[in-house]
Amino acid sequence: MRVRAALAAATVATVLLGLVTACEKKSGNDGATPVASGEPIVVGSTLSLSGAFAATGIIHKIAGELFVEKLNASGGLLGRPVRWVVRDDESDQAKVSTLYEQLISQDKVDLIIGPYATPNILSAMAVAARHRYLLPQHTAVIAPLLTYECQFPAWSIGPTPNEFVPNQLFDAVASLPTPPKKIAILTNQNGSTDFVSYGSANAKGGAVTVAPQRGLEVVLEKRYPPNTSDWSSLAAQVRDAKPDLLFNSGIAVDPVNLLQAMAQLNYKPPMMFSLFPAPGPPLGLGPAAEGLMSVSIFEPNKSTLDKLGAKAAQIVQDFETRATTAKLPYTVFETQAAASWNAWEILVASVKGAGKIDHQAMCDFLHRSGAETTFSGKLTFEPKQNNFWPTTQLIKQIQNGNWVTVWPRDRAAAQLRGPAT
Amino acid sequence: MTVVQAALSGVLLGGLYALMAAGVSVTWGVLRIINLTHFGLMLLSAYLTFDLATVWGMDPLLTVLVTVPVMFVLGGALQWAYDTLRVSELNSLLLSFGLLIIVVQTVSNRWSADFQRMPLDVNPYATGSVPVGQFAFPTPTLIAFGVAVFLIAGAHLVLRRTFIGRALRAYAQDRAVAATFGVDHRRVGVLLAAVAGATAAVAGMLYSLINALTPATAYEWFGIVFAVVILGGVGHLIGTLAAGVVVGLTSAVVSVVLSPAAAPLVLFTLIVLALLVRPTGLFAVRTSR
Repeated sequence: MRVRAALAAATVATVLLGLVTACEKKSGNDGATPVASGEPIVVGSTLSLSGAFAATGIIHKIAGELFVEKLNASGGLLGRPVRWVVRDDESDQAKVSTLYEQLISQDKVDLIIGPYATPNILSAMAVAARHRYLLPQHTAVIAPLLTYECQFPAWSIGPTPNEFVPNQLFDAVASLPTPPKKIAILTNQNGSTDFVSYGSANAKGGAVTVAPQRGLEVVLEKRYPPNTSDWSSLAAQVRDAKPDLLFNSGIAVDPVNLLQAMAQLNYKPPMMFSLFPAPGPPLGLGPAAEGLMSVSIFEPNKSTLDKLGAKAAQIVQDFETRATTAKLPYTVFETQAAASWNAWEILVASVKGAGKIDHQAMCDFLHRSGAETTFSGKLTFEPKQNNFWPTTQLIKQIQNGNWVTVWPRDRAAAQLRGPAT
Repeated sequence: MTVVQAALSGVLLGGLYALMAAGVSVTWGVLRIINLTHFGLMLLSAYLTFDLATVWGMDPLLTVLVTVPVMFVLGGALQWAYDTLRVSELNSLLLSFGLLIIVVQTVSNRWSADFQRMPLDVNPYATGSVPVGQFAFPTPTLIAFGVAVFLIAGAHLVLRRTFIGRALRAYAQDRAVAATFGVDHRRVGVLLAAVAGATAAVAGMLYSLINALTPATAYEWFGIVFAVVILGGVGHLIGTLAAGVVVGLTSAVVSVVLSPAAAPLVLFTLIVLALLVRPTGLFAVRTSR
């Protein structure tokens, strides 16, 4: 009797569980979104999760995880779930080569996506080219160096960033009622930043040569090593050179160190630009950093989000939640995260476009049809320009303690501000 | 004027370099332990300062009331472990590097790999300065220099004038003979390493007043700290202070006169030349070994 009762109870429970599960599936899916099934498609990559580039590597990890989760929730890729295998390259480009080789040759991942930071991306590109794998990459912008025809940049400053960046900035400041006349140029000897100031053997020119062409008098021009610890001497030189505009082709916390050292000398340059700063730390400087300019491919300013719509706003919000959980001090979804998102969307577009995992077919599809992205719109890839698409880069500025886009005017969220009078 | 201002700032920054190097120098010179974990203790102290100031609202300078005792205990405990395991000079390099990696990863897990920097409202010292005529003495490095002079001169006097100091020097020169005169090497070693740990706490606090923190910062200190230790003479505290000033001053002046990019080249060339002339360090009065 007891056995029969137990069997009946189990049957009822099983039926109820089945009904509840079916209801959950229906309410979560609404029957509209296909469910990913079958063997997962494995995407392999490395990121700098420790070492010198880790501060930014973690942003790409959070963005990538969020993207894959959303992709799987919306039916995966070719109907299959996607699994991302990410290894820590310790910010070491030698390790990048080894790990990508392992991912492709031993782990036999289906797809790859780039690591973070130009030197690492160049290492990964060499491996990808050897195996003829398609490589969407997040942040390498030195177009002349990225010659593999199946690498696809997710952040483009066009084919000559060494000319575009200074010209865009000089266009912006020329629009002010009192444009700057004297400029000081301080350059971090890191590869990308040095390139923007000085160019390279294949792409001559940069801020140092563009400035005088645009009528600016260069009153100070110095290069400093990436591990600089004494900022006071640079600050003293800038103060005594009295520039109207300080062009810092710097990276990470360089502008913060400079602004702080100059503030210690009771000095602030009338206008300052820094190329690739970590976005959070300058905001902690308060008034000392007010007016600082930089480059951006995306800032979640209200007018921008209103144009992009609810999907973009949700991504921005989800990223912020995850970044907060990961204890990031600056949780805003901006340039780095947007570049990461672009790279994943390029990868997905290539597979969907080819209809299968065939790297040559995927590469051909992107050359032929480009990729639609949430934050940078439709991207078209021109092989003659190493796939660098027409840039959508903006100038941003700290205004009232927040980064806002200010140039070009037609895409800006606010008006560029000149020096405080 | 630019050169003089840069030189002043460079000298003051040299005080911080000296303070960062003092603990490494003294444990290497006296205890024969090349303690790379010291960099981890500085890193941990810098992050604790950050937390105590930003989360608990403490004045950053007062955070040493918490971090100094903690690092004193950690420094002493490490030396006790090195001594118990009979770690040799060369092995200490490997072992302490392993421990440093553990500290760096722990810091990364706790505080993330992203930049952490005390905002101005909790660290008003960051952009302050003391004006003297046409020149400005940046507040954070002025504090660092004052603290370095006070602590290093104090430690030097203790080593010269007290029984424990004489015991340590005797131990550094000949362990066996020192032991026959009743020097308890374990006890004095632990005490010395604990004090070195305490200096790491102060150096970490002072570093965080000026700089943004990332876990990898600890590795970036190697070059400058070992330059100061070796130039000053291993185990020679006053030499360490003098070497810190020379390194800071040279870097700053070369940055202005030539270029910041030339500063490391000139500095390390001078160090190599100096060591060819005085292999035990430019400021070592005599060998401490």
